Amino acid sequence: MTAKPSQTAPPPRRKILIADHETGTTVPLRFLMEQSGYEVRVATTGEEAIRVATAYKPDLVLLEAMIANPDGFETCQLIRENPNLAATRIIFVTAMIREVDIAKGMALGADGYIKKPFANAEIMDHVRKLLELTDGDGSNQ
Amino acid sequence: MEMDPTNKFWWFAGLSILLALLFFTGIAMLAWQQLAPGQQTVVLEVIKEHFIYFFMAMVVLLTAVGFALDGIFHSFILPLERLPEEVELVYTVNPRHRIKREGSKAVNQLIDNLNEWADRHEAFEAAVEKRVQSARQEVEKEKNILAVIMSELPEGVLICNREGQILFFNRQAQKFLTRREEGLPPNATQTAPRDKPPFAYFGLGRSVFEVIDRNLISHAWDEIAEKLERQDSSAAAYFVLLAPDGRHIRTEMVPVLNQQRQFSGFILILNDLSSKMESDGHADLLLQSLSGGLRTAVAGVRAASETMMEFPEIPPETRQEFTRIIYDEALRISRLLGQHSRERIERPRSQWPLIEMRVGTVLEKIAVKARHLLHLRLIRDNYEKDLQLSADSYSFSLAILFLMHQAHEAFGIEEFHCGVERRSGCVHFDLIWQGPSLRMETVHLWAEKVLSLQDQGLPLTLGEVIHYHQAEIWPYADANDARASGVRLTLPAIQLAEKHLPRNLAIIPDSRPEFYDFDLFNQPGQLPEIDSLPLADLTYTVFDTETTGLDPRSDEIISIGAVRIVNNRLLSRDRFEQLVNPRRALRWESVQIHGIRDEMLADQPTIDEVLPRFHKFSENTIMVAHNAAFDMRMLQLKETATGIRFINPVLDTMLLSAIVHPAQENHNLMTIAQRLGIDVSGRHTAIGDALATAEMFLKLMPLLAKKGVHTLQEARQASEKTYYARLKY
Repeated sequence: MTAKPSQTAPPPRRKILIADHETGTTVPLRFLMEQSGYEVRVATTGEEAIRVATAYKPDLVLLEAMIANPDGFETCQLIRENPNLAATRIIFVTAMIREVDIAKGMALGADGYIKKPFANAEIMDHVRKLLELTDGDGSNQ
Repeated sequence: MEMDPTNKFWWFAGLSILLALLFFTGIAMLAWQQLAPGQQTVVLEVIKEHFIYFFMAMVVLLTAVGFALDGIFHSFILPLERLPEEVELVYTVNPRHRIKREGSKAVNQLIDNLNEWADRHEAFEAAVEKRVQSARQEVEKEKNILAVIMSELPEGVLICNREGQILFFNRQAQKFLTRREEGLPPNATQTAPRDKPPFAYFGLGRSVFEVIDRNLISHAWDEIAEKLERQDSSAAAYFVLLAPDGRHIRTEMVPVLNQQRQFSGFILILNDLSSKMESDGHADLLLQSLSGGLRTAVAGVRAASETMMEFPEIPPETRQEFTRIIYDEALRISRLLGQHSRERIERPRSQWPLIEMRVGTVLEKIAVKARHLLHLRLIRDNYEKDLQLSADSYSFSLAILFLMHQAHEAFGIEEFHCGVERRSGCVHFDLIWQGPSLRMETVHLWAEKVLSLQDQGLPLTLGEVIHYHQAEIWPYADANDARASGVRLTLPAIQLAEKHLPRNLAIIPDSRPEFYDFDLFNQPGQLPEIDSLPLADLTYTVFDTETTGLDPRSDEIISIGAVRIVNNRLLSRDRFEQLVNPRRALRWESVQIHGIRDEMLADQPTIDEVLPRFHKFSENTIMVAHNAAFDMRMLQLKETATGIRFINPVLDTMLLSAIVHPAQENHNLMTIAQRLGIDVSGRHTAIGDALATAEMFLKLMPLLAKKGVHTLQEARQASEKTYYARLKY
């Protein structure tokens, strides 16, 4: 198989939190992210996602808006309000696809919005771009 | 207190006799004093000696007086006493009552007269009653037809007067607005969790506000008034009504205006959204409702399969896990698709009929209500007035007011700003205030509350209303102003799937669709030499037009039919029959009447080609039509456009019939034809009506002669008289 970036650049493993209650999404996503060299955690409720995010300080959260307690939108807002997580990027990966949902997600501070069902390439592309961006920021500081 | 007649008599008799006795005693006393003492003794002696005669004379006298009194009493006083009561009896409760003859000759004469009056009165009453009866039957018949038509409609229809009193409703309306367990006043504890409206009565003459929230109606009413003021073509208002059984009823409110364009009532047209959903079963709605679950499942299948293809050297246990996911998700999809659509449509998204409204109008209303109801200020500073919003006016306004109220309760906010903007398929409605930033939690909390504000309210939560608007709500944040807080309500700026066709305004028509705005009696072609000719010697063109409608000023002729009468004979083959292209679409209602459809007129000549030919056809004849003023007016209005002028003398069979049968009130074509025994087979085609009119005219002519109407001039003068007589009606 093609060489993965993870194998070539080991030390700063980027951390990703997948917050979704559907194993059908989390299992392939997790595998995909791990294969790409990211460190992955999974949370299945909003509350768990916030807890993990606070402790784990992920670089990126892949967030399903439909998770419960609290819902994905509120989870997003809470993560955004945490100053320690200011660098954390959030991408909604969700089955809520109306224009108003997207508007709401973006207004609450998300960095991207991917509708389910998604293509693996699409999601990887998004993730990579966002993390490169933060990477660039990081190297500038 | 009234006295018994016998007692009255005894009083009367006693008093009379007493007076008589007093009178006699008086005279006797006077005479006694005139006598010398010697004479007195003599008189006393005489009386003593012949007392028996004096006594008998006295008795006889008294008896005579008694009889005389009795006679007078029974022949004059008693019968007259009774008369008022008896007369009253006749004209109030029993017109058949007659007064019994008794008493003197003069009194009997009076009684006879009164009885004769009673006979006439009775006959008159009976005639009136009969007419009322037949009129009522007629109305009843029409009402029944209407009721049958109405009951067949899938929509509920409810007609109310201005005060909200129900004048008419059909079965559907009743079904929608009343509780299923009709008749059983529901037990408050047993009913649903959310406060159901209390048991309400529904029926003719009852108030509609028993079953529909007064606020909803008055909100719609305001909207209609505003639209009328703007001369909006569709002065209807829409709202969603929650039926007692929880169904959502889309309601269209149409005003009913009288001739002066004042409100005289309103019509409510009710559509059951829930059952419409069920019967429609639209695939897109189904898919929409499934989309959440379906998308997730497909996402699983796709992600898993794509990953497996991308990484062929997956460890076996992971591969197994992925295969499992694909299988599970595929099962989920089949389950979703296999289920009955109806069961799955829990809350389909596009359920509520949203109406496009101008933001300016909506905001203004909200601001007014906020001031009056909540004493809060809503400052509208950032919006496009003409931006359209898709919303249910009442519940949307209520939602905004509710949010203001909540913010006031929670943070003491008195003043709000609002802005509306359209951005990428969405309309953002921001309600902003100066205060602490709003937590998403709080918004969630508000969303779970039932929308109610003082007397206004809906048995729905804020969240549900937002859901039905396909909207989203979240705390507003302004990056530039940390003090600014608020909520943002985002609505989809979609084009509405169901475009609402403007409904024609219901205006109560004038009861008498006869046209009098054409002067029939002063046509330039009225020449003295023709005027003096007998009617039977003249040549007539009897004609009729069909039109797109009944307003000569705005409607067009679509068909002209005419026949000629020469020498008192109807020449039915000498006819003019022509359809006319009105160069516009026909209205559905008029198609119902004349049966002429647009496609039949497409290839026909237009009026400026037809009129010269018709003018030629009718030249030098008398024009005859039924309700001629209307047809003549139609022709006259084309005068400037075509240059064709009809100067012919005109006779109107409607007026001629009124001369012949002044007592008949109805002089429409059908009725007269029936009265005169004419077969009207081609009714509502121009030629058919023209033929019927011609036959009618021929039959009217001998009847006119009997009334002394022989010449054209006489016919016109008599027409003029009845015309003014009828105008007075």
